[in-house]
Parts: sequence; C-alpha cells; structure tokens
Amino acid sequence: MERILQHDSGALEALYDRYGRPVYSLVLRIAQHPSSAEEIVQDVFLQLWRSADRFQISRGPLEPWLFTMARNRALDFLRLKREKQRRREDSDSDILPSAVVCPDPEGDIDRSRRAEKIRALMTSLPEAQRRAIELAFFEGMSHSEIASSMGEALGTVKSWIRGGLLRLRESLGEASS
Amino acid sequence: MECERLAPFYEEYALGVLEGKERAELEAHLARACPKCTPGVAKARWVVVQLTLAAPDAQPSSGLRGRIMDAVKASPGTAGTSRAVAPLKKQAPQAQGAMFPVWAWIAAATLALVTGYTIRQMNNQNEQLAQLRKQMKLATSQNQALQNQLEMDHMVAMVMMSPDSMPLKLMPKDKAMPMVHAYLHPHMGVAITADQMPSMPAARTLQLWFVPKSGKPMSVAIFHPDAAGQIALVAPVNMPRNEIAALAVTDEPAGGSPQPTTPIAWMAQIN
Repeated sequence: MERILQHDSGALEALYDRYGRPVYSLVLRIAQHPSSAEEIVQDVFLQLWRSADRFQISRGPLEPWLFTMARNRALDFLRLKREKQRRREDSDSDILPSAVVCPDPEGDIDRSRRAEKIRALMTSLPEAQRRAIELAFFEGMSHSEIASSMGEALGTVKSWIRGGLLRLRESLGEASS
Repeated sequence: MECERLAPFYEEYALGVLEGKERAELEAHLARACPKCTPGVAKARWVVVQLTLAAPDAQPSSGLRGRIMDAVKASPGTAGTSRAVAPLKKQAPQAQGAMFPVWAWIAAATLALVTGYTIRQMNNQNEQLAQLRKQMKLATSQNQALQNQLEMDHMVAMVMMSPDSMPLKLMPKDKAMPMVHAYLHPHMGVAITADQMPSMPAARTLQLWFVPKSGKPMSVAIFHPDAAGQIALVAPVNMPRNEIAALAVTDEPAGGSPQPTTPIAWMAQIN
C-alpha cells in the first residue's frame, strides 16, 4: 500500500496479480455475470488506486477491506439487477463459465490453507445451514429475507447463521489471532 | 448492554444480518469507539470476509489486467506527487570594491559598502522571517484542513464499511457525468462519494436532497468537488429511512437553496 500511495503503478499490478483472481471469483459468485464481474473488479482496483490515501486511515489489513469493498460493489450490482428484473425480463447474454479452475501460480499458501478450511467447513454444514449463510454472504439477504426465501422460521434461520458463523470463527481462530 | 453480551453478535453484524436491539446496541458501542467491540468487530469482519474463499475459483479474462492498468495510466491520480522544493535562494550581492589611492576614500567607501550590505542583509532576513511566518501559517492551515479531511474520510469509510449501510448509486441525468455513490446508514448518516467530477464555479454548489414519499424535498448537504474532482462527505440523516423515496442532487447557487431551483442532476430511488 505504501507504494500505491506513492502512485507506483507497478505496485497495483502486483496487487492485482495477488488478489485479482480471488476478488474476481467472489464478484462473479455474487454477480453471476462475467462481463459485469470484470467491470466491478476494474472499478474496485481503480477505487483502490485513486483513494489509496483513504485506506491508510483504517490502518487495518488490506485484504478484508478489499474483499469487503468488492462484496459491497457486487451486492450493489445484484440489487440493481434485481430491481431491473422486477420491471422487465433480464436479457443478459453472457454465459456463466463453468467456474474455471486454474492452478494458482502465486502459491499463496496462507490463503489456500484458509480456503481449504472454509470449504471444508461449508461442506460439513447441513445443506440448509450452508444455504442460509450463502444467501447472507453472497446475496446480501437479511435474516427475514432468507427465512422467506427458504420457507423457514426466522428463529431457525438466525440460529443456523449464528451457529455457522461461530464455527467459522472457531475454525479460523488460529489464523485470526 | 455489556460488551461480553454483544460479543456473540460481532460476526452477524459483520455479515450484515444483525437487526433490532442488538444491532443498535452494538452500533452505539462502535460509535463511541468501544475498546472491546471495535477490535472485536474488526476481527469479525476478517472472519466473515473469509467466506470469500468459499466462492468457486474463477479466472478473469487475460485482458482485465491490461484494462485496469490502462485506466490507471489515464487516471488523473497517476500524476506523480512531486513536491516543489521551493525556496529560491537569493544571491547575496557581491560587494565591489573601488580602487582609490587615498586611504580615506577607501575607508569611507568600505564603510558605506559594509553599512549598505548590513542593511540589505537585515532586510533580507526580515523578508525571510516574514516568508517563514507565512509558510508556517499556511502549513498550519493545510495541516488543519488535512486533519479535517482525514476525519471526514474516516467517517465516510465507517459508513461505507458498515453492513447496515444501504448502498445507492445516484445516476447522472447527463451521461457524460460520473456516477455518485451514496451509503445510507440509519444512525451514522449518509456518505457521499464520487470521483472525476468536473470542477464547479465558486458561485455554484451541489446540493443533496432527500425526496420524501410525500411532501417537499429536504436539503441534506451542500458540497463541492475538491481539486482532484473527488467528493467524500458524511451528512446527518434528518428523515426516517422508510420515508425517503429518493436521493437527488441539484446544482444550486453558492450557499444552497431552500428548495431545488434546477432540474435534478443525479438521482437514486429507494425501494
């Protein structure tokens, strides 16, 4: 970030090389639309470049900030898209690629270890609980929206999400401490 | 509510699903920078954001990197932050001696030169002192402005990052204009951000309005893009969220207007 603050475009390239793919994966999962996902990713990195001085203020690590910003932008897109869909049939022509999995040349061991933990945890959760968490995180739904979408009681949904998040916290406990 | 009782809700808050009394309590703790809840929520944000890794791995097109870097190069922010290393060094005048045969004339001339030189030196020093005072004054006011901006940016970042903020895009009526982003938070206010805004004459200002479901628009804030064309501000929310039908921005005379006097330039409707 220091180099980005100095307007070193090479630093942004390095940052993109490190985070471009996970950010794109997240945005694509939410937006479900490849070309829009790329636009959002571009927007996120440009925002990072233009407002690098603002990020220093938080003094937190960059990764959560970057992913939170990407998630917010993608959810923003999703809400707009839903609004449009309410008015007329969406005619998106892009086809979702079959989740292209490529080898990770960066070899970011820490992140891939965490990814393993998260995937293992999500797989271990009962289907409905996993679905509730996914609806909250990837679709930005509230407790009541999830309950309505899944046809479950509000209390049940709250308990699923709370339980799932506590397990997530425990699972990541070592890494986050 | 005690921090210990709020702790189990940190992750739900970070995920954006916490509602009701617990959310209000937690936000009150965060608003007063509670030493337990603030780092607790920050950590919870880190935990929650790890769900990102549950997304199927996907590869963006090879052209995306190039497009980002092209846009960065075209961005006004790319210009280096070279600082003018300022003060010009004035050359001291060189005394020129005169060659006279009579020693008295030499002494008198030398005395006159020394006196002149001393007076000039004193004047220079006074000038330098005045300049230094001016620079100090300028630096102090710049420092104050920077601190104000940092505080405002911090507030903007807090509102933007809050899972309870409703993100809105204010679409420009003029397609050549950039989009304005708003984040509407029930307690912390409404944050407005924009980039690449055109400069405005000092006699005009932008004015943000809450458009109620019924009744007249209510002024929220007046603002100007800064020299870099950026906007970052937080204004208090003076209307219940469920009564706001839209956010709108108009171009008004400096100082703002009690009601919009020009057509809406940006607008976002709220469901």
